[in-house]
Amino acid sequence: MAVVAEPGRRGRRSGPQARREARIGLLFVLPCFLLFLAFRFGPGIAGVLMSFTDYSLTGGGHFIGLDNFIRLWHDPLFWSSLKVTVLYTVMAVPGTLLASVALALLTRRAFRGAKLFRSVFFLPVVTSLVLAATVFVWIFSTGGPWATFVSWLGLSDSGWLGDDVFVLPALAIVGVWSRFGYGMLILLARMQDIPRELEEAALTDGAGPWQRFRYLVLPQLRPALFFLAVLETTSSFQVFDAIYTMTGGGPANASYTLVFQLYDAGFKYFDLGYAATIGVALFVLTLVVALVQRLVIGKDQ
Amino acid sequence: MSLISRTPAPDGRRRRLRAVAVPALAAALAATTLAGCGGAGRGSDSDTVTMWTYPVIFDEAKNKAYWDGLVKAFEKQHTGIKVKVETFPWANRDTALATAIASGKGPDVVYLVPDQLPKYARNIVPAEEYMSKNARADYTDFALTSVTADGKTLGTPVLTSGNPLICDKRVFTAIGEQQYPGTWEDLARLAPRLKEKGYYATSYSGDTQQTLNLTFYPLLWQAGGDVFGKDDKKTAFADAAGVKALTYLKKLVDGGYTDRDMVTTTPKLEQTPVARGKVACTWQNTPADVEPFWGKANTVVLPPLKDVKSVGYGTVGALSLLKGGNTKAAGEWIDFVAEPANAAGLEKEAGYFPARRSAKDLYPGDPLQSAVSKTLPSMAAGPLAAKSREVMGLLGPEIQAALLGKKSPEDALRTAATAADAMLGR
Repeated sequence: MAVVAEPGRRGRRSGPQARREARIGLLFVLPCFLLFLAFRFGPGIAGVLMSFTDYSLTGGGHFIGLDNFIRLWHDPLFWSSLKVTVLYTVMAVPGTLLASVALALLTRRAFRGAKLFRSVFFLPVVTSLVLAATVFVWIFSTGGPWATFVSWLGLSDSGWLGDDVFVLPALAIVGVWSRFGYGMLILLARMQDIPRELEEAALTDGAGPWQRFRYLVLPQLRPALFFLAVLETTSSFQVFDAIYTMTGGGPANASYTLVFQLYDAGFKYFDLGYAATIGVALFVLTLVVALVQRLVIGKDQ
Repeated sequence: MSLISRTPAPDGRRRRLRAVAVPALAAALAATTLAGCGGAGRGSDSDTVTMWTYPVIFDEAKNKAYWDGLVKAFEKQHTGIKVKVETFPWANRDTALATAIASGKGPDVVYLVPDQLPKYARNIVPAEEYMSKNARADYTDFALTSVTADGKTLGTPVLTSGNPLICDKRVFTAIGEQQYPGTWEDLARLAPRLKEKGYYATSYSGDTQQTLNLTFYPLLWQAGGDVFGKDDKKTAFADAAGVKALTYLKKLVDGGYTDRDMVTTTPKLEQTPVARGKVACTWQNTPADVEPFWGKANTVVLPPLKDVKSVGYGTVGALSLLKGGNTKAAGEWIDFVAEPANAAGLEKEAGYFPARRSAKDLYPGDPLQSAVSKTLPSMAAGPLAAKSREVMGLLGPEIQAALLGKKSPEDALRTAATAADAMLGR
């Protein structure tokens, strides 16, 4: 029983031989670990330290204490870009999760062409967003396919990217399009683990499709959904490439996100100290949101 | 793991060998992977001058031929000095240059335009340290003032260019008009007639990624205003002249006299109304830009529009010497390139104009280029204040908001000025 309950311990050995092998294993991991330290952990720490300086790409850099953080707090552009980022996230993350669940449900069963559909739905994930964004600029332009479609629904046929109200929904649609394939794949993997007998029993008990989904499938998906929610939120908070290509942060800063502000501060104005401060704020925000999500969605896992 | 456990226990010698070899191999791998992070910086005693430039001459082969020829001639005259010219793409050039400078891997000489100079001021050796007095006296006022900030010449001009008002003759023929606009009023008067026939009076790109030097600032200058006050510590664009300029622009947008979509997006030139022959006049393109679409015969070059004064945007291409290298050798190279006879190849191939008075006329018999050349004294290169770009970053979205009807011109300019003044005061 103990062997079954603790399968991980079955092959574990102790003694000098095992320790030596572990050391050798660690040594082979060392190059990768050093790379991680040098290119992930190191820059992260350096970024935090830099946020306390007025370092510029073209030189200088003095310790200025909390000045950058005070400046950030009083910067209207920071609050405006934070609002834009949160609004985008509120639209893109649920949209991606809904699309992922819907398409995973549609393609979970083995039917003719299921693999093809799964592959097609996954394609946007491996498509360059910068290239796709160029096509989306045309789709959302005045008189473009999307404007024509919404004009049939009684809305204006002017381009969404030039409208300060509709620009974020347009970008969220692009975000959902580019991300749902990955979520679908994760959920599909989880759905394959749900015993078929459970669903058959529910079916015998007279449960309809919605009830089967609500009380049987959805609870099983909870850990995967939590994982996706954290991942998608982090990704949404960092949205940049599509916005850079499609709107440049406009119109009138209506799509100017935190990462865009960070990019401008660092690479347009060379104000790296302030850019690092925005980065720290972004990190803290993402962390807080992930913790809240854990409390709400993933408290049991 | 399983392979190791199945292997017979090594004898003492093999064990010792492995004990030494494995850490050594791992350390070597780690050292190799991290080696790319380091590297030698530039040495001040180096006899090689490296220069970074961009496709000023658009044709890659012609660009290479020009620089190769110049390098060969220079090295022949200056034995012991080697020159290496590298051409990088225009896109993201500031990111590449600034990061290279920060990591000590920047070039000795780099091609910059006035808009870039303030950001690199602390890395640049002023031209006063290597430029001869005779050469200095030979530069046009426009060329020299465009690269001078805080009394220091931050680059050696090698070319000049201008964006005069250019009009499409076909559009004027279509509406039966023979008089081209010279003032704001002229253009405003023509606008309804143009619209009636399906043409825009002008084209305005309000995209915030676009430099205001090319778009709004010419109107501001024409109205008698300026971006900064006298000492660059406060902005001046929200005064009466600024409001007048933005109000004029807003009337053009609201009246449908310019393509409203262009307020928020910048399509490729070939997809714009300008290229499609739907715009009467523009100050945001050069004759070289529109010539393939309009034809030389239909491109009419005029002085910049005038409200209080006639002024347009022009720029200067300059070579700047960066600190940390062999100043003497790099200075000699810059002086050599800037000589009128040597710079002529660059200027002519790229369709630009000389920066020095003694240079000969590059376009005899070309009425279009001759007309542009005559407008150069009316050009301004834009502010050279240290925080010009940050101010643009704050002003651009507010102009967009006004043009989209979200704010009045006064409110938009006041909001931008308040934010910009607070930033400048820090």
